[in-house]
Amino acid sequence: MDWLFFGEISLAGLAMGGLYALIALGFVIIYKATRVINFAIGEIMMFAAYLFLAFAGGMEMSPWVALPLAVLGGSLLGGVIEKVMIRPMLGESSISVVMVTIGIASILVGLVELVWGADPQLLPGFLPRKPVFIGEMYLAPKIAYGFLIGAALLVVYLLYFRFSRGGVALRATASDQAAAYSMGINVRRVFNLAWVFGSLAASLAGVLVAATGGLSPQFGAIGLSVLVVVIVGGLDSILGALIAGVFIGWLETVAGAYLGGEYRMPATFAVLAAILVLRPYGLFGTHEIERV
Amino acid sequence: MFKSILNKGRRLAGIGSVAAALLIAAPAMAQDKEPIVFGGSIPLSGVFAFAGVHLHAGLTDYTTWINSEGGINGHPVKYVMEDTGYEVDRSVAAFKKITGSNKVPVYYGDSTGFMKTIASELNSRGTTLMSGASFATALTDNEKYPYQFIPGPNYSQMFGIILEYIATQGKDGDMPTVAFVYSDTEFGKDPIENGRAKAAEMGIEVVEEIVTKPGSVDVSAEVLKMRRARPDFVVFHGYVLSPINEFMVQMRQMGLDTQFMGTFWSSDKLIINKMGEDADGYMGVMPYNYYDSAEGGPMLDALRAQAEKSDPDAGYRPTGYMQGWFNAMVWTEVIKRTLDAGKELTADNMADSLASIEDWDTGGIIGIPVTVRDMSFPVGRIWRVNAKEGRYEPVSDWIHLD
Repeated sequence: MDWLFFGEISLAGLAMGGLYALIALGFVIIYKATRVINFAIGEIMMFAAYLFLAFAGGMEMSPWVALPLAVLGGSLLGGVIEKVMIRPMLGESSISVVMVTIGIASILVGLVELVWGADPQLLPGFLPRKPVFIGEMYLAPKIAYGFLIGAALLVVYLLYFRFSRGGVALRATASDQAAAYSMGINVRRVFNLAWVFGSLAASLAGVLVAATGGLSPQFGAIGLSVLVVVIVGGLDSILGALIAGVFIGWLETVAGAYLGGEYRMPATFAVLAAILVLRPYGLFGTHEIERV
Repeated sequence: MFKSILNKGRRLAGIGSVAAALLIAAPAMAQDKEPIVFGGSIPLSGVFAFAGVHLHAGLTDYTTWINSEGGINGHPVKYVMEDTGYEVDRSVAAFKKITGSNKVPVYYGDSTGFMKTIASELNSRGTTLMSGASFATALTDNEKYPYQFIPGPNYSQMFGIILEYIATQGKDGDMPTVAFVYSDTEFGKDPIENGRAKAAEMGIEVVEEIVTKPGSVDVSAEVLKMRRARPDFVVFHGYVLSPINEFMVQMRQMGLDTQFMGTFWSSDKLIINKMGEDADGYMGVMPYNYYDSAEGGPMLDALRAQAEKSDPDAGYRPTGYMQGWFNAMVWTEVIKRTLDAGKELTADNMADSLASIEDWDTGGIIGIPVTVRDMSFPVGRIWRVNAKEGRYEPVSDWIHLD
């Protein structure tokens, strides 16, 4: 066995898995706080990536200015969606809310096609192009630097949830909405905050993934493939999203390298099926979760 | 951004005005004869919309042009289409609607899936000849698909043309090595088996085969495999842009001197526009002259003049436009031959007319006279990107497979 090859493949998979974890985090934050499964997460990623394209490409801003602007734009979009379209659905059946998020996804695809057209796009290069070597192992620079940027946001999030007032309010609401409300936490504001934070994580992942693999109005489909990660990790578990994201990224890449690209998805879905049989609530999810 | 929306609006208005002009002008075209309908299931939205809008423009402009030339044997031409979103069920519904309210001798299908699905109905009707966006090898099976043709070489033939070119690039008597990279779709897998067989027959070793998901994917692990296989050439199939760019950039970063090639839908100017200098040296097989090539000819000049007239701001017209125009050109030729022979426009008669095309001068759309073989036009040329000039330039003669 070529261990160097295995090491390189594993490294690439783990780095890609880090980006999956970031997308999954966006999913989980929203679900954990609001119990809404956001099927528009991929389209929010796509929207942020197109914003980056508009800022860095169309308006020729520095990519390092365009990146935070695009991510903020994506998170703002999440906040607006929550306020305008999700909040009025409070109390409705979860299927109705899911259908609203699917509708939002469709609207975003149409909007992007209208503004930017249907052509596939490449984002202006902003990550270093010099190959990265860890020991003798090669790692594609875009994946390596994308992973580092994503990991930095993950650390910021974890610190925020642990130590800030907003983070504590979010965790309290996630644990028990009624108790949080009775303790004076503005639950509606927390809902909005969850959408903003969830969309922010997804937006950053969107720009980083699009920088690696290109962008098109169909880009949002990647959000659905991350559903596997979320279900494996547990819909309401941040730790689960992180671990499952990295694991699924690694598994997918190793399966693709050794068995062929057509086995990437079967490998991950085989894991999903096994997890659903053994732990229907995911590796780290709680038992009470309601599935749709 | 707003300027872009405004430009798009103007362009749509331009298309709309052309369509309106057609509707108004058609009855007044002095031809008393019954109009001939070009039908089409056109993907103006959905995953294939990037090409669909240009296919549609090509078909629309050809219709305008042929009517300005007096139609086909005095019959005015009417182009009737529906947007399908590149979904088979919607394409089938569009086909039924259009053929239900019109007599449609020729029809544009937007996908291999649709063309396969509709085949049994097409065969039982016996009224319509079909071609479209697909270059699928399967559609050249005349037993199963007697009324469908390919407006160029099929994907296997494209691989054949690419391999013929690669075979001429060996040094010191050694054959170059090749790797195939294709998407995990019916489209992507189409030519692979025949490509393998053709390579073996020619003595070209296929040192690696990589299958990827289509579209936006990370391919860094796949590039690592290429680093070990070190092919002289990589042939892509089943993509429009990504992940071709990532393979090229990362393999060059690794110091490999591999050359990169692609088939029809991977060989548009989009590659140059989006990749910039990184696209330099990329090669594609193309059955038609590029819109901005140095080549000329009466039909190519007419196409450029009509494109300019329809939308003076559009500039370069993509290969999808050329493909739409060429489809309609072949339909016209087939209908003309059938009518000239005093026959009815049935699918059988039109298929016979198509099969009779030999050494046909396409007026510069294709650079050499073409002959139909098994319901396809097995001809093409290898073009290489000159990134500095921002265009493809020919690096081979026209190759006509037997």
